Amino acid sequence: MRAPISLLMLLISASLHADLVFDQNPLEIKPKAEDEEIEATFTFKNGGDKPIHITGLESSCSCLEASLDKADYAPGEKGVGKAKFRVSSFVGENEKFLHIFTDDPKYPDQIMTSVVDVPVVVNIQPKLLQWVIGSKVEPQEFTVTMVGADPMKIINVSSTRESFKLETKEITPGREYKIKVTPTTTESITIGALKIETDSKIPKYQRQMAFFNIVKPDQLEKQ
Amino acid sequence: MFREVAILLLCTFLAAAGTHYFHPRAPSWYLVDEPLRDDEVTLADIAKRWHSEVLWIDARPRSQYEQGHVPSAFLLNEQELEKLMFDLFEKLQDNTKPVIVYCGSEACQASRKMKDYLKERISTQEIYILHGGWKAWTDKNGAVVVGAK
Repeated sequence: MRAPISLLMLLISASLHADLVFDQNPLEIKPKAEDEEIEATFTFKNGGDKPIHITGLESSCSCLEASLDKADYAPGEKGVGKAKFRVSSFVGENEKFLHIFTDDPKYPDQIMTSVVDVPVVVNIQPKLLQWVIGSKVEPQEFTVTMVGADPMKIINVSSTRESFKLETKEITPGREYKIKVTPTTTESITIGALKIETDSKIPKYQRQMAFFNIVKPDQLEKQ
Repeated sequence: MFREVAILLLCTFLAAAGTHYFHPRAPSWYLVDEPLRDDEVTLADIAKRWHSEVLWIDARPRSQYEQGHVPSAFLLNEQELEKLMFDLFEKLQDNTKPVIVYCGSEACQASRKMKDYLKERISTQEIYILHGGWKAWTDKNGAVVVGAK
């Protein structure tokens, strides 16, 4: 008689589960252009029918750190977590994942998604200029647009290659610039970049880069 | 008594086997090497194809780089990308060796992100990812340099 009871208890305990239900998933984080780091709070509850123990947290990026208010949550109990994102040089929409490991074999690894939307302040188009080796020496152009709240001026543009001539033109002061790039020759494969310095008050926007290559025809096709 | 113990052991075995079968993160019964992807190379490949004459890029966070990195490896990570690239570019533009990017282990994605970033900007260079990352390097007892470059 005891064996069937043991078996019944085993089956009952196997059917119980703990499940974290997040109130925000994805968690949207919107830093300001000047923010170096930003902290956001998220809430969740144990939506299962047995207690849950958090055994660890792991982020997909060293830029995202998270913590929870405690490690054990009873069925139905609510919890609060904090996510800290270091903005550094991230720009645009970035998706990062937080793994929450639990002692529940049914849901050992629960994932909360964070979407961090860092405003674009400087837009350089295109990011890469290309010439085909042996092609006609013709200028190509970068357009630099300051799309942030505050205008910023380009104060210096230099090339990592002396064999490229540069001409910077201010279209709208503090807002739009054109940089004409002309190779003196297209005879050899070349990799180079423009270093663009601005008068931005925010240090991370003071230095920007744009790239140029002279490539073989098949390398151009891969772009 | 013996019968009850046998039934309990059988139940335990069935529960364990079931958990292993259905568990999304169940460990393998034996070690399996992840297949090599097109853009990956092993340490053996690097030694054989280029006699280890390559340019190393460490895509891990700065703190991990400073704890130990491949000798002569440059730091280039997602967290400080613009700043590091600004200072590193002159060395990259004149490089003639294959570029090998690594991050922490097989599971990390940072090396692939950095490889794609570099490929878009220095498209004429050969760029690969070290299969197994930093873990593969230390497992093979590769030399380690501590501190910033």
